[in-house]
Amino acid sequence: MKKLRRILHVAVNDLRIMVGDKAFFFWSLVFPMMFIILFGLLFKASDSAPAVAELTVVNLDEGRWGAYFLDKIKTPTIELKIVRSEPAEYSRLIVLPPDFSAGIEARRAQKLAFKKRRDASTKAAARVETRLYQAVARMLSELVLYGDGDLAKFLDGHAEFRDIVQVKTRFPEKTVTVVPSGFDHSIPGTTVQFIMMMVIIYGGITVLEDRKNGVLARMLFSPLSKAEVFQAKLLGRWLMGMVQALILIVVGKIFFKLNLGDFGLSLLVLGAFALAMAALSIFIGSLCTKEDMIIGLAVLLANLFAGLGGCWWPNEIVPLGVRRAAMISPAYWAMDALHKLRFFQGGFGDILPHLGILLALAAILGAVAARAFRVRE
Amino acid sequence: MRRLLLVLRNDVRRHLKSPAAILIYIAIPMVMTALIGIIFAPRTEESTLPPIRVVLVDHDKNLASRLLLGAFDADEVKKMLEVTVSDEAEGRRRMEKGQASAIVIIPEKFTLDLLDARTTVLTVVKNPAEQFLPDVVEEFMNTMAVMLSGAVQAFAAEARGIRAMLDAPVESIPWEALGPELGRAQKKIVAVRKYLDPLLIGIKAEEAKAAGAKTLFTQRDLFSIMLPGMAIMFLLFIVQTLMRDIISERQDGKLRRMMTTPLRPLELVGARLAGGWVMGLAILMVMVALGSLIFRAEWGNLGYFLLLAAAASFWTAAFFGFFSALVKNRNQAGALGAPIILAFSLFGGSMMNPEAMPKAFKAVGILTPNRWFIDGAALVRDGRFPLAPLAVLTVSGIVLTALAVPALRRKTLV
Repeated sequence: MKKLRRILHVAVNDLRIMVGDKAFFFWSLVFPMMFIILFGLLFKASDSAPAVAELTVVNLDEGRWGAYFLDKIKTPTIELKIVRSEPAEYSRLIVLPPDFSAGIEARRAQKLAFKKRRDASTKAAARVETRLYQAVARMLSELVLYGDGDLAKFLDGHAEFRDIVQVKTRFPEKTVTVVPSGFDHSIPGTTVQFIMMMVIIYGGITVLEDRKNGVLARMLFSPLSKAEVFQAKLLGRWLMGMVQALILIVVGKIFFKLNLGDFGLSLLVLGAFALAMAALSIFIGSLCTKEDMIIGLAVLLANLFAGLGGCWWPNEIVPLGVRRAAMISPAYWAMDALHKLRFFQGGFGDILPHLGILLALAAILGAVAARAFRVRE
Repeated sequence: MRRLLLVLRNDVRRHLKSPAAILIYIAIPMVMTALIGIIFAPRTEESTLPPIRVVLVDHDKNLASRLLLGAFDADEVKKMLEVTVSDEAEGRRRMEKGQASAIVIIPEKFTLDLLDARTTVLTVVKNPAEQFLPDVVEEFMNTMAVMLSGAVQAFAAEARGIRAMLDAPVESIPWEALGPELGRAQKKIVAVRKYLDPLLIGIKAEEAKAAGAKTLFTQRDLFSIMLPGMAIMFLLFIVQTLMRDIISERQDGKLRRMMTTPLRPLELVGARLAGGWVMGLAILMVMVALGSLIFRAEWGNLGYFLLLAAAASFWTAAFFGFFSALVKNRNQAGALGAPIILAFSLFGGSMMNPEAMPKAFKAVGILTPNRWFIDGAALVRDGRFPLAPLAVLTVSGIVLTALAVPALRRKTLV
């Protein structure tokens, strides 16, 4: 019990020093918040795109079929802006050539140029493009149905196209009921990334400085053994990670209505992840002799793990080979477990393998760090 | 001047003796560029996405559902969708493992409903953990639904005939009367071919680009766009590390000892700033060389790029010279330097394409060297002279130097 109290005392003291540091506020709150807002807005923008997507139509058609085709495109989610020449500014544009009607009546194949600006909403562009294909499908179906003979008479009247086959969408049962917000994606990713950055940089540098300045060696004059100093340092760095996680989760809950699924289990996942990172930070701090090397290694590892682990972009767009390679990243296991809790309302059983892997990693890194841990230069 | 050069040469030698940190900072942009390049590189001319994995649940197991399955088997569709037929439970299991973006459920009596021209519903169950791919499946199914609706209406009479044949005993079917019916169906098929082969109305989608811009975006282009952003970010880190010498030497008393030699404060300050500039430029050119060798990145006119790199290194050295004069000690420099660099990089477009950023972020980005360097590199790549980025970096660099020199001189007066 006394031993535990000694370890806790040193660990809490480490945490107190860290929280008292001026840069702590930036690293643990300001900078992660910038990330959360940026990525949250990006995800949000792609979630909702503009409610009404604009389509500029350069209608040069000299017949009646152009207007008929445009009628097929019309839907409440697409706003048609009809012009006579290509404007300088547009998001998406389609050109109906002067001989559009003549081409149809002569049953001559033609291709319509659809231009989309790269910096405009990709989701809105996809919505418009799909609608264009659907309009073509509708028109061709009607032509097959009623377009036998003289096509000029087709436009004088025919039966309406019926949507016999309809599509409905939903989420799997016992998962989410509303579309998760962009912040539900960006906050867990940023939290995992900044636990890595904070713990490795701060944890590593303080181990290095304490060793260089003789603080670690002096601690051995107290009733602490070398093993206890190591355990205290490990616990201190784990607490750093947990403080970082709690700050971002609380801010996320207050300002962005963050939903993590099961809060307790989410903390458990982040706790196992932070423990692995704490061990890694002591290992790096014990190996490196220069502060700049620790910062460089921390930035390299944290960015690499975050990128591979799905903290920055959705894993779904990542090639299969990279997704497999991502399993070497501790961030992958943390993010996958958090996804299971948030998006599939998972329970303890669902994240047990993830917890097992993260704790095993923490144990391995802890053992390696304990061997590398030095109290003197 | 000779003394200035001596200090400069000594600084360069000293940093080359223990280059681990610099090497790590050079390696990071290469690793990050490789990772992002592998993930976001265009895979084919048509698609930048991996095949979307879909589980198809067939409750109908009849003619129409098989036709639908056949449609998923078409070469063009196979490039986009990877379909597995299974049940909903397996679909959910795959979703949880990240192995399925959506489940498409074909309802019972789908075929019979189509033959009777009755409204029927295909259900798309979307993976809640994914953000883009399930929507692609939904839109694809919407288009399929329109096509199926059209086909059902076009062949409504034939569908009614097939429906009657399905219900009636074989002996009651008037086979001899089917001739004219088949003839009519044949006419429709010929008519359909007239509109579909080749397609009467096709859509040719293209991205709007500036005149003369490339039509095909390759992995090499992606690397060429990304590397300048990464390079400037880690140039900032490296030059900050180099310029921190001023503070360390002041702290550990080396500066006091150096000032007892015939070295004048201005010469020392000049040597430090010139050292940051020259070494920064050299490291930047190493990154350029590595980028060209590893990623075959394209930089454009090397002369223009060298000018831009020199301006960026000059700005960086001047900025961190001034910064070193403002901070109290090495710890403060370390604590504030990295956040400043990361903020520059976040707003300036090193971490993300500036075009994709929210407007407020873009506006702040103009105040960062990253943004001007990235914009300048893009201009050089396009074969243009980066006049505005050069002017902004050089003029603001001169202003920073003018501020840094007297401030650093004061710092040398220990």
